[in-house]
Amino acid sequence: MKIFNIALGILAAIGGFVDIGDLVFNVSAGATFGYQLLWVVVIGVIGIIVYSEMCGRVAAVSGKAVFDAVRERLGFRTGVVALVSAQVVNLMTLTAEIGGIAICLQLLSGLPYRWLILLAGIGLGIVVWVTSFDWIERIFGYGGLCMLVFAVAAVKLGPDWGAVAHGFVPHMKTDSPLLYAYFAVGLLGAAMTPYEVYFYSSGGVEEQWGPKDLGLNKANAMLGYGLGGFLSFALMIVGGALFLGKGIEPEFLGTITLGVEVPLGQVGLLLALVGILFAVGGAAIDTMFSGAYNLAQFLGWEWGRYRHPSGAPRFTLTWIVLLVLALGAVMTGVDPVQLTEYAVIFSAVALPLTYVPILLVANDRAYMREYGNGRLANVFGLIYLVVIVIISVTAIPLMILTNGGQN
Amino acid sequence: MKRLGAFTLLVFALAGCNGGTVDDHALKRDAEKIASLATEGGLLANDVSKGASTKPFVSVHAQELSQAASNMSDALAERPTSPGIERDVRKLSRVAARVSRHLDQLHLHPTDRAVAASLKGPLARDADAANRLSK
Repeated sequence: MKIFNIALGILAAIGGFVDIGDLVFNVSAGATFGYQLLWVVVIGVIGIIVYSEMCGRVAAVSGKAVFDAVRERLGFRTGVVALVSAQVVNLMTLTAEIGGIAICLQLLSGLPYRWLILLAGIGLGIVVWVTSFDWIERIFGYGGLCMLVFAVAAVKLGPDWGAVAHGFVPHMKTDSPLLYAYFAVGLLGAAMTPYEVYFYSSGGVEEQWGPKDLGLNKANAMLGYGLGGFLSFALMIVGGALFLGKGIEPEFLGTITLGVEVPLGQVGLLLALVGILFAVGGAAIDTMFSGAYNLAQFLGWEWGRYRHPSGAPRFTLTWIVLLVLALGAVMTGVDPVQLTEYAVIFSAVALPLTYVPILLVANDRAYMREYGNGRLANVFGLIYLVVIVIISVTAIPLMILTNGGQN
Repeated sequence: MKRLGAFTLLVFALAGCNGGTVDDHALKRDAEKIASLATEGGLLANDVSKGASTKPFVSVHAQELSQAASNMSDALAERPTSPGIERDVRKLSRVAARVSRHLDQLHLHPTDRAVAASLKGPLARDADAANRLSK
């Protein structure tokens, strides 16, 4: 039954790949460029698999999660920069996800948005307080699988499969190359969002992985993130097949679900909304825990959801404070979709501060003994480090030059 | 830290800026957006007319589309324009107002198949009108 133990990978991937901003971003990419950017998702999926496997292995062998490595490898000063940037992006994303849960509940119930924000925040707090880590993974990871309805919708829309296949070959057929580059960088940044690896590596420690679990780590990374990538493909194909020809620019969560309702009717719509609810809820938990993990690991506090709150009081207090801050921020009326798009772009800038320490530690034989990186892992790790640096340097200039993807 | 804050604000301002003079490029973009809202409203109306949607979804989504069209209508009615395009800009404002009114009907009657069916044609004409102004 080991196959059922991949909930951690699924939750980390669904939370990372199909959070509220990514949903809109992926469908927008399809609605703007058709299937041309599918290849970028493939690059992103391989990258996140390489680094997640690495940090899961570090967690299994050394019992250390990402921010332990950041503190040890970058030193205090640079580490603080990494911590602050990670926490700002975590808080922005958590704010957006709470808003996303409320939008989803509103589309399901028709109740007032502001009340649903409160319900979303309080509900999240209760779920995280009373539910064990294993069950959080299962509920949100497997609940998010309802998102597979987007794959059914993509097939039912009858896309030009030749064009879809051509989308996996890098090419650019557009008179807006900057916009194309903006979407490419955004998709790569979203695929490699740092909170995925914070959550994933800390989750490995929560589950008390050891060297015997390295196979499980590989399965989690490959199947979980593979599934996240598959959902990204489906979203982009829905955007290309339904919205591109009609000139529809998806800016709302409702538009994304309309992409399922049109081919599949009410049942499709409800499955899509439930799937998004779990996916966005999972992303909220990813980011909330990531924020608490990061701070606790960096400052050397006791941490872990597997402990009773009194056994890790500062960790518990941190996620509660993050939740309250995000709840307050979303109540100001900020647009959740725009906020996570900005969060993706800003997190792209700080990517090297997360991934360089992982690569260094995964090569340190003092930590890793015989489980250190092999040649293949290092080749991929270095190639992706170059990709990450390119993303981090170009993300903000492209956002400015394309007016946030509006041009 | 102060410089970082100022830079962040600048980025947000540049990325999210929606005011100022309407030039040819802005007219084209806004016309495309309004056509998009009308076309999407038409898809939604079509689903309602077939009984293929749910009451809360239609009510909420039609309202957010209507609000977006209304905001654009207000802005296009008031913003200064580049020379020679003012007439088109104000015309687009009126198209956006019509789109908003039609979507409001969908918001107010989210399960009425007859109302939804009657809105498909007008929304398609609104989309065509906006598309013509984007050329």
